[in-house]
Amino acid sequence: MTDMTTLPGQERYIAPLDETPLQDVDKLDETAPASSMWADAWRTLRRNPMFIISGLLIIFIIIVALFPSLFTKQNPNYCTLENSLGPASAGHPMGFDFQGCDVYTRVVYGTRTSLSVGLCATILVVLIGTIIGGFAGFFGGWLDSLLSRLTDIFLALPILLGAIVVLQMFKTNSSIWKIVFVMALFGWTSTARIARGAVMEAKNLEFNTASTALGSSPMRNLFRHILPNSLAPIIVVGTTSLATYIVLEATLSFLGVGLPSTTVSWGGDISQAQTSLMTNPMVLFYPSAALAITVLSFIMMGDAVKDALDPKSRSL
Amino acid sequence: MENNESKLVTMQKEQGPLLEVKDLAIDFTTDDKRAVHAVRDVSFSVYPGQWVAIVGESGSGKSTSAMSVLGLLPGTGHVVGGSIKLDGQELVGLKQKDFDKLRGTKMGLVPQDPMSNLNPVWRIGTQVKEALVANNMDVAHEKRSKLAKALAGDEVAVKGNDDETFISSTELPALLDATKAAIAEVGITGEAAERSLAYFKEEWVPGSETRWRVADDLIKAGVKDDTAWDIAKKHVTGSTMDDRIAGLLSEAGLPDAATRARQFPHEFSGGMRQRALIAIGLACRPDLLIADEPTSALDVTVQKKILDHLHMLTDSLGTAVLFITHDLGLAAERAQHIVVMYKGQVVESGPSLEVLQHPQHPYTKRLVAAAPSLASQRIISAKEHGESTDALLEHHVVGEQKLEASETIITVDHLTKEFKLPRKKEMFKAVDDISFSVKRGSTLAIVGESGSGKSTVANMVLKLLEPTSGTVTYEGKDISGFKGKELLDFRRHVQPVFQNPYGSLDPMYSIYRSIEEPLRIHGIGDKKSRVKRVRELLDMVELPESVMTRYPNELSGGQRQRIAIARAMALDPDVIVCDEAVSALDVLVQDQVLRLLNDLQVEKGLSYLFITHDLAVVRQIADEVVVMQKGKLVEHATTDEVFDHPRKQYTRDLLDAIPGGKLQLGLD
Repeated sequence: MTDMTTLPGQERYIAPLDETPLQDVDKLDETAPASSMWADAWRTLRRNPMFIISGLLIIFIIIVALFPSLFTKQNPNYCTLENSLGPASAGHPMGFDFQGCDVYTRVVYGTRTSLSVGLCATILVVLIGTIIGGFAGFFGGWLDSLLSRLTDIFLALPILLGAIVVLQMFKTNSSIWKIVFVMALFGWTSTARIARGAVMEAKNLEFNTASTALGSSPMRNLFRHILPNSLAPIIVVGTTSLATYIVLEATLSFLGVGLPSTTVSWGGDISQAQTSLMTNPMVLFYPSAALAITVLSFIMMGDAVKDALDPKSRSL
Repeated sequence: MENNESKLVTMQKEQGPLLEVKDLAIDFTTDDKRAVHAVRDVSFSVYPGQWVAIVGESGSGKSTSAMSVLGLLPGTGHVVGGSIKLDGQELVGLKQKDFDKLRGTKMGLVPQDPMSNLNPVWRIGTQVKEALVANNMDVAHEKRSKLAKALAGDEVAVKGNDDETFISSTELPALLDATKAAIAEVGITGEAAERSLAYFKEEWVPGSETRWRVADDLIKAGVKDDTAWDIAKKHVTGSTMDDRIAGLLSEAGLPDAATRARQFPHEFSGGMRQRALIAIGLACRPDLLIADEPTSALDVTVQKKILDHLHMLTDSLGTAVLFITHDLGLAAERAQHIVVMYKGQVVESGPSLEVLQHPQHPYTKRLVAAAPSLASQRIISAKEHGESTDALLEHHVVGEQKLEASETIITVDHLTKEFKLPRKKEMFKAVDDISFSVKRGSTLAIVGESGSGKSTVANMVLKLLEPTSGTVTYEGKDISGFKGKELLDFRRHVQPVFQNPYGSLDPMYSIYRSIEEPLRIHGIGDKKSRVKRVRELLDMVELPESVMTRYPNELSGGQRQRIAIARAMALDPDVIVCDEAVSALDVLVQDQVLRLLNDLQVEKGLSYLFITHDLAVVRQIADEVVVMQKGKLVEHATTDEVFDHPRKQYTRDLLDAIPGGKLQLGLD
């Protein structure tokens, strides 16, 4: 009977055992390299040329910011009017601005201002945003409604307009903290939204239920499980928004409401240089180029980090 | 019938194989440009109208082989050798554009995951229409394979193409009127006429039933040949697109298809979505349908219904099916020919019953031994032969008398849980008045389909949910009152193992930290003693120490589940609540985990509350069974009692749905 119904090509076949040796059921591959999420991300980053280029640039920028005196021996505030708009010369590779200050020295010293404002604002924004968004997402209910509406209100205020108004009110105070606080005040909303979403997603994952059943308290779950699992998207917004805060600082300084003119900053210098744009455009070019390179480095870094931490968003 | 079968075989022999895969080799390229051999030397053939099953564990290359036939290899996969011939045409090396012409009309696909394979923003009908329009299908006529035509031709003479036109919904009333008159004419009246008409109303689905079938039905009802054909010719003249869409969906087993076609995927249950996908896969009447684990995401009862329906449908259309599954019992029940794959190679193939009854390759033997459906089958036949079943059971049955005598550890008393549904006034009763008790050292299984409320019961027992009414008592104490230290103590003694091995471990925690977590929460031991304890626990679940520094994403589902068991065991609990703990695993791994649970029970005297939708698994682990349906308790008895003398129809349905349940097994 069997022979009658068996069709050609469907005869009984048994592979010789030595061809496919049998292994233990569900055997652990002990040779594979260990990998956590961070180790995986690091491996992806290391292979990304964009990360290497931006990383080297950022390290360079940080060194310039920390030790400006390594790169120039001159004082950025030493200006003599007789050098006004003077061309490049030995020891002054970028020439002089309208006030007769050395452009190269001012660009070097401006790095610290831009970078510290950007970094401090980002750190503050991430902290405020994560706390507000995290609580909103974790507790939900009326607290979520309240905090989300608050976020919406702040989101509705244009950051530039808000910053101008607030900075005008406190014109007398001249520290960089003023501008950092203003940026954080208007900038936390996007991080809060991302953090809220990430926390809500992580909250519903089964390992939280598992931890609760092990005896873990809700707060312990939030800090030990949910927040660490929500960090990736927050870090991604953080790195990308760093660049925008550097630009914002320059914009505010350019508008004259940012840092006082006594503080050396790229934005301030760009603002000063516009008067001599027609006669000597290079005075405008150098601080703008420094700003552009810094911003580009951080944006590239942000993109690389995003690719590594969120492989789904990677463009192929 | 017998005659038909041998005729089919003769025809299959004449036509030759529909799909012929020879020495197929597929490679995947990794990130660092290394080639990974996914499939090697795979050969099999599928004849017209035949079901062929490829069986294997995940990673065995079964899906990859099937996808290469469709030209749908994911990512970096490519065929590096061998040949795939469909109806004599070579498919290896074909461009995607040429594949486009074959897919749909020549071969169709029913994908694995019904949740993600329908576009959520399109109506179901639109998605069926897309398949019809993309392939320029004639929606007024049926397209039947040569095979189906020849087989059907025995009973009725199908003359021309027009005999294959569908009924349209607009002409159905007139057709029924004419039928009524014709029946009356031949002298059928009263109840008999009513019965015939009711039958016709049900059978004559617009967009699915064709002219000659209508004529055939009429003749069978007693109408004269000529009159029958006259009526059919006059009133069956072809359907519109909407009719055809509804017809296809109704063929796939969706009731009230015309209304359903206007709904969106989120309004469908998993089973209904899978039916819609079957309708789409068969819309263009392919000669070959590739079904990639079409029912593994569904409950067993739904699985049985859908596969039964698919079987009937493909038989009537003469469609060949390449059926991919990890369950040997299911494969043997459905397919005539089985191909067993392991590590990218075919280890054994042949007629299904022969492979099942006399497995030769050690891997196949292992599969046969592990399949839960077959295991319960083996117990039944051993009992019939009057042999002892002890050797076949991994689980040490406590025995009814001893069960009566042993002390109760958890009691669930009139437990009810209501949920508020969005946009609805009345409360939804997820759990409705459930009572049972778990005896120390025994296993109680709760069985039911998804939505039966079984997981809700588990969550209430674990005190993760508060019941609306009723009580759960642990060692005589009502757990609802537990707070602070008492609650922590309860948590220590009652531990869970959850369904999803991918979700229940924190991906940011190393395995060591995951297993150590409960010790840390309960402040047990210092760092050194904890390391020692984690080592012991890993040894208990048979994993090497080196796994401690790894992360969950590096482990397989079964390994993660063993880690979850180790974590649950860390505090030396009395009770473990397993919520579908093995449902997401391949049969072999499932068997391994069940064995581990059984061993731990014997060793530590644990009590299990075991939640599952699969009755076949229950036989291997439980002493008592509670069957739940729609929140209510349907049946509660010992496992043997439930399997041998099920009292309720629902329990019998569940038992029937166990794949391979009707197979004759060799006892070797």
